[in-house]
Amino acid sequence: MNLATYSRRNLLRQPGRTILTVVAIAITLFVFCAILTVVNAWNAGANEAAKDRLATRHKVSITMQVPKRYIDDVRSVKGISKASWAVWFGSKDPKQRTEFFAAFAVDQDSWFEVMDEMQVSPAQLEEWKQTPNGAILGDVLARTLEVGVGDRLVITSDIYPGDWEFKVVGIYTPLRKTADRNSMVFRWDYFNNDARTSFAHDQIGWIVSRIEDPTQSAALSRQIDKLFDERDDQTMTQSERQFQLSFLGAFSAVLKAFSLAAAVILIIMTLILANSVAMSVRERTHEYGVLRAVGFRPRHVGGFIIGESVLIAGIGGLLGLLLTTLIINMGIGPALEENMAGMFPYFRAPTGLMLTAFGVTLLVGVVAALVPAWGASRLQVTDALRRLD
Amino acid sequence: MIPVHYNIRSLMVRKVTTLATAGGIALVVFVFAAAQMLGAGIERALGSAGRPDTVIILRNGSDAELSSGINNDLLNLLTTRPEVAVDKGGVIGEVVVVVTAELRDGSGVSNVLVRGMPERGFAFRPEAKVISGRAPVAGSNEVLVGKAIAGRFRGLATGESFDLRRNRPLKVVGVFEAAGTSYESEVWGDLDVIRTSLGRSAAVSSARARLTSPGQFEAFRASIESDKQLGMKVMREADYYRKQSAQTSGFLVGMGTAIAILFALAAMIGAAITMNGAVANRSREIGTLRALGFTRRAILSSFLLEAIALALLGGAVGVALVMLMSLVKFPVLNFQTFSEIVISFRATPGVVISALVFSVVMGLIGGLIPAIRASRISPVEAMRA
Repeated sequence: MNLATYSRRNLLRQPGRTILTVVAIAITLFVFCAILTVVNAWNAGANEAAKDRLATRHKVSITMQVPKRYIDDVRSVKGISKASWAVWFGSKDPKQRTEFFAAFAVDQDSWFEVMDEMQVSPAQLEEWKQTPNGAILGDVLARTLEVGVGDRLVITSDIYPGDWEFKVVGIYTPLRKTADRNSMVFRWDYFNNDARTSFAHDQIGWIVSRIEDPTQSAALSRQIDKLFDERDDQTMTQSERQFQLSFLGAFSAVLKAFSLAAAVILIIMTLILANSVAMSVRERTHEYGVLRAVGFRPRHVGGFIIGESVLIAGIGGLLGLLLTTLIINMGIGPALEENMAGMFPYFRAPTGLMLTAFGVTLLVGVVAALVPAWGASRLQVTDALRRLD
Repeated sequence: MIPVHYNIRSLMVRKVTTLATAGGIALVVFVFAAAQMLGAGIERALGSAGRPDTVIILRNGSDAELSSGINNDLLNLLTTRPEVAVDKGGVIGEVVVVVTAELRDGSGVSNVLVRGMPERGFAFRPEAKVISGRAPVAGSNEVLVGKAIAGRFRGLATGESFDLRRNRPLKVVGVFEAAGTSYESEVWGDLDVIRTSLGRSAAVSSARARLTSPGQFEAFRASIESDKQLGMKVMREADYYRKQSAQTSGFLVGMGTAIAILFALAAMIGAAITMNGAVANRSREIGTLRALGFTRRAILSSFLLEAIALALLGGAVGVALVMLMSLVKFPVLNFQTFSEIVISFRATPGVVISALVFSVVMGLIGGLIPAIRASRISPVEAMRA
C-alpha cells in the first residue's frame, strides 16, 4: 500500500463530502477560468492587433477632425508603405435590429489594402469603385441587418441629419480571428460631397498607415506628429491598438477589478478545501495515532493528508476544465465572438491558461492541506490514540 | 424549539471550520456588495444629476450632448416660450467636447468632457460650489475642474493649463463639487472662449431650460417637437441621465452580480460541507434531543438556523470589509460621451440589506439538505451508535 492508494481509499470514506468538495472546486476553477478568459480576451485584441499599423488622429480630442490633405504628408514619410483614412459615422439602424454598429466613410482605393485582415473579392471591390453609394459590410453585421449583396440599406446617424441610403455591393470576411466582422464601410467621396456634411468638408477622422518595419513604430509615430507640430491641428499618432483603447480607456480599471475577483475566488477555493481537509483530519486523529504507532513517521502522516488534498483538487480541477471547455469554448465563446466581435473578437480559454489554472488548483490543494497536515504530524501518538471520535 | 444558544455554541466549538466557511461567504458577500455599491455610485453620479423642473434640448437624432448641435438663433426661440422660468435660470446653451488627457500616473490617456457654459451656467446648477481655488473670471480662458477628476490628469490641476487649440491655453483656477453628480468629472469653462477655440461660434451642443414647474414638461415638449423646422427634441433631464446611467452601470453591475452569484454557488457548497459535517458529528446529540421530545421540525429549523447564523457571520464580515471600498474611486466609461467619469463606491442601506439577505439565502440553501438529514435521524439508532 502506498500513499496514492491510501489517499484514494480515504476519499471514499466520506463520499458525500468528497463529492461536494470536488464540485465546489470544479465550480470555482470554472469561474476562475471564466474571469481570466475575459481579461485574456480583452488583451487578445492587443496581442493580435496588427503591429505594423499606426493610427493618427487629432491631438486634442477623438471627436475633432484633421484636414484631408494630411494624408499626403503621412504618405510622404519614409517607412510608411500605405496609408488610408476614415470618418466615424455614428450610425444607427432605423429598424432597431441592433442598438448600435460601427460605420465609417473610407477611401475605396486604399482602405482594404491597409486593413488587410478583411477580405473582399476583387469583383466586389471593383463594383464598389464603380458605385458611389456602395457599401461593404462585415459578414456578421450583414446577417444582423438582414441584407445581402445588391440590397438597398437605409441608415441614420447621430451626427449627420436625415436618412442615408446605400447599396450593399460586397461582404467582407475576416482573415484573422480578431478582425471586426461587425462594421460597415462606405465611400468617403460620396459622404464628403453630401451637403449634410458641409460643416466638416474635406475633414477626416483619422489616418491609418502601414509601416514597413514594425520595430520603427515609435520613431515613425513621433516623426508623423512632428510633421503637423506647427500646423493648426496637431496630431497624436499611436499604435492601432492604443488608438482603439483611447475610446475605452477607463476599461483598464474594470480589468483590474476582474483580476482581483480572480484572486478572491482562489482564496474561496482554498478555504473550502482547507475546511474539508481539516474536517477529515479531525475525524481521523485516532487513526493517525495508529499509523504513527505502527512506525509511520510524522512526515508520512503529513504526506498522506497533503496527497489526499491534492488528489481532490486535481479531480475537481479536471472537472472544472471540462466545464470551462464546454461552457466557454463551445458555448458562450463562439456566441460572443459572433455578436460582440468589436469588443471580444476572440473569446476562448486558451490551453495555456487552462493548464496554468490547473497547476494553480494543485497548488491550492497543497496550501489548503498545510495547516491540518502540520497539526496532525505534530500530534503525540499517545494523545492521538486517546482521541476516540 | 431548540434554543439558538445551542447553535451559537456549536459554531464556536468548531472554530476553524466556522471561520473558514464564514470567510468564504464573507468574500462572496464582499464581491456582491462591491458590485451593488458601484451601481449605487453610478446611480448617484448620473441618476441624481437631473432635476425634475429642467429639460434638456438636443438636435433630433442625437442621443447625447456630444453629437448634438443647435444653432444660436433657434436657442433664442426657446427662451420666449411661456413654460420657461426666466427668473429661475431660463435657458442656457452649452457646448461640450471631449479632450484627450494624459493620466498623471503615466498609464495612458483617457477622455475628459469639457463644458463651455454662459456665465449663468454655474448658477443654473445650485448644487455646484467652488471648493478650492477661485471662480473663473467671466469671459476669460479660466476654467474649473470637477472634484472627481482633480489631480487625475496632467494639465488639469489648479495652476496648470491645457490646449483646446494651438496657443489658446485654458487655465485651471479652481476645483468645484456638484453633489456627487457626473458633473464632478467634467471641466467647466466659458462658452464663447471654448466654442471659438473649436471654431463653432454659431452653435451650441445642447440647451437646458428651467420650467416654471415640472408639470409644464408636456406642454413645452409638444410646442418644440411639433415644429419640425426646429429639428429639436426635448427630454426631461432626469430621463436623459437615467438612460446614460442604465447603459453605464448595466454592464458593470451585471458582470459583478453574475460573478458574485457564481461565487455564491461555491460558498453554498462550502456551507453544505460544513453543515453536513456538523450533522454527522452530532448525530448522537440529535438523537438525544429527539429522545427528549424535540420534534423533527425543531431539529430542522435548529440546523437551518445554525447555517443562517454561520452565513450571517460571514455576511457581516463581508459587509464590514466592503465599507472600506467607499474610499476607492473607480473610473468608468460613460458610453454616451466616450468620456471617463470617476465613481465612488457608495454604501446605501439598500446595499447593506441586500448583501445580508444574499448571505442568508446562501446559508439557507447550503444548510437545507444537511438540516433535512438531521431531522430524519432516528433517535434510537443515533443513540445506539
